[in-house]
Amino acid sequence: MEYGFRRQDFYTGLMLCAVSLGIVAECWRMPRDLQGWPAYASPGVVTGLLGLGLFGMGLALALRSVRRPGTPLAITGTDVRTYLADVGTRRLALMLGISVLYCLLLGRNIPYWVTTGGYLLAVMCVFRAGPWWQVVLVSAVTTAAVTYVFNRVFAIPLP
Amino acid sequence: MVLGPWHILVELWNLLTPLTLLYVGASTFIGIVIGMLPGLTATMGVALLTGLTFGFPPKDAIIILICVYVGAIYGGSRSAILLNIPGTPANAATCLDGFPMAQRGEAGPAIGLATTSSFLGTVFGLLCLAFFTPLLGRIALQFQSWEFFWLAIFGIVVCGNLTAPTDPLKGWIAGFVGLLVSQVGQEGIAAYPRFAFGIDQMRGGFALIPVLVGVYGIAEVLGVMRETAVPHVMTQIRKILPRWRDLWQYRRTILRSGVIGVIIGAIPGVGEDVAAWVSYDFAKRGSTKPDEFGKGSREGLIAAETGNNACIGGAVIPVLSLAVPGSAPAAVLLGAMWLHGVRPGPLLMVEFPKYIWEVTAMFILASLAMLILGLSLVRTLVKVLMVPRPILMPIVFVLCVIGSFAIGVRIFDIWVMLAFGLLGYPMRKYNYPAAPLVLGVILGDMADVNFRRALIRTAGDPTPFFTRPISLILVAVTVFTVLARSARFRQALAAGTARLKAAVSRT
Repeated sequence: MEYGFRRQDFYTGLMLCAVSLGIVAECWRMPRDLQGWPAYASPGVVTGLLGLGLFGMGLALALRSVRRPGTPLAITGTDVRTYLADVGTRRLALMLGISVLYCLLLGRNIPYWVTTGGYLLAVMCVFRAGPWWQVVLVSAVTTAAVTYVFNRVFAIPLP
Repeated sequence: MVLGPWHILVELWNLLTPLTLLYVGASTFIGIVIGMLPGLTATMGVALLTGLTFGFPPKDAIIILICVYVGAIYGGSRSAILLNIPGTPANAATCLDGFPMAQRGEAGPAIGLATTSSFLGTVFGLLCLAFFTPLLGRIALQFQSWEFFWLAIFGIVVCGNLTAPTDPLKGWIAGFVGLLVSQVGQEGIAAYPRFAFGIDQMRGGFALIPVLVGVYGIAEVLGVMRETAVPHVMTQIRKILPRWRDLWQYRRTILRSGVIGVIIGAIPGVGEDVAAWVSYDFAKRGSTKPDEFGKGSREGLIAAETGNNACIGGAVIPVLSLAVPGSAPAAVLLGAMWLHGVRPGPLLMVEFPKYIWEVTAMFILASLAMLILGLSLVRTLVKVLMVPRPILMPIVFVLCVIGSFAIGVRIFDIWVMLAFGLLGYPMRKYNYPAAPLVLGVILGDMADVNFRRALIRTAGDPTPFFTRPISLILVAVTVFTVLARSARFRQALAAGTARLKAAVSRT
């Protein structure tokens, strides 16, 4: 039987191996006689062991995916084009893009209600949540309610 | 222990103030709504509310979180029955019989049965919570650094094993990633900043709530917004109150599912979804009508809902006695208790002896509110399911941002939330469970500090890790859990058992 995540597992395994080796290398560089503590109590001991464990599991994941039947491991141009042309991918990229932009604008000198209202309006318009008046109404009411309830009633600072 | 019921009544009486009752009603309702909306999980709800109630008095904040937790685990049954989509992973088993019941026009009785069995499950769980927490707490007082280290490793291994039953390697990877995430920032012995890369905010490590909100909330928002399909809601609901005959008829199933739910809840990090599946499986094996399971069996529905709600009480037992969460929402509850100055763990019975009774009383109020709201607001709650996802999800994102920001008042936490959302989304897509990651983040510091402290105490001699009785038990169970997933080990075990049986029969 073909395994659905063969390719994903292979690259995830390789990535985990690379990251965990980086962790182990960083742990090796940590001080081994910090504040007079012996080497076995140094800050990198447990982290290094965990890194080694993750390396082993990443390697197992990659090797296992090589042995299993399924999608070819090599990524072709067609695969990339198919993925990018997928409606779901576009929706994901749009949502992520607008959300990252929203987070970038938070904490700057723009009032919270402006960024949040704009964000809600943008997402609802882009994803066609309903007629324009409904989208505007929902965005405005939500922004006002969130700002009032959390900032005024619960005294929670807003970004 | 003998005075336990009296203490619970006293704490219950103390909680009966108009403001607390208002909080209980409102937060249970919010929990039910969060649970019933596919895409919003109990963990995400509790994590979100932790941030939003940060400024509240500790008692009010904890009762709100408990009500959200109980409400959300129950609320997921609503969409499982009406949409065939589990509102939370804990309600996946409910779909199997709840939706077929709705299809044959029994949506009302299905909701009624789900509500009452959830109530019974929660009550059973909280009774076990009140009874077993002090007992486990006494055992936990024997735990020292060696045992705490192994407890952390045992939790990750068992949690990874049970939350990724088809591919435990992915569960263990998630757990180790969580353990490594917890290593970022100043460590607990010499305050050395690990992996801070010169960034000041990284020296404090990643706060738990932004990580949780990211992994559960943002990943879910992204996943839901990616989909284009619109679910169809069954809106014809008539009789809701369940027949007591049904409940009495399936009393054994309720009791068995309650016991299973509590036991699975008490295992670190495993959680309500596994409890529901195991309860369902046991109910099917023990049923006189196993063929009806999956086709609208009342017994199957009762088993799943009793199991997942009984798990809540079970999951809080190790939180209070060992400071180790039994499920992902319980992990957030543990974090919230820390934030509000309560230190769960072996010393809880010494420092806050009445806290267990207080938490039990809070659970009683939450389960009563769940029963009342669940049976009375059926038609109102169905309307919530009809809110289009493109309206709901950006609002959820905004709340996630506030929840992550509120605790530390740092923009950095918003980026942490977003980063973990980006990690959580592919994890979910490629079958890596999130629960071991969360458990790893919670237990990482415990593993690190106790391993090194144990070595310091023995001047570098690791022998006690394998010779102390409780350590040895934890090591044996951990190793067996890993080996049991190997086909060769299972074959060897089966062959050994067969040889032993043959030898016994010969003698």
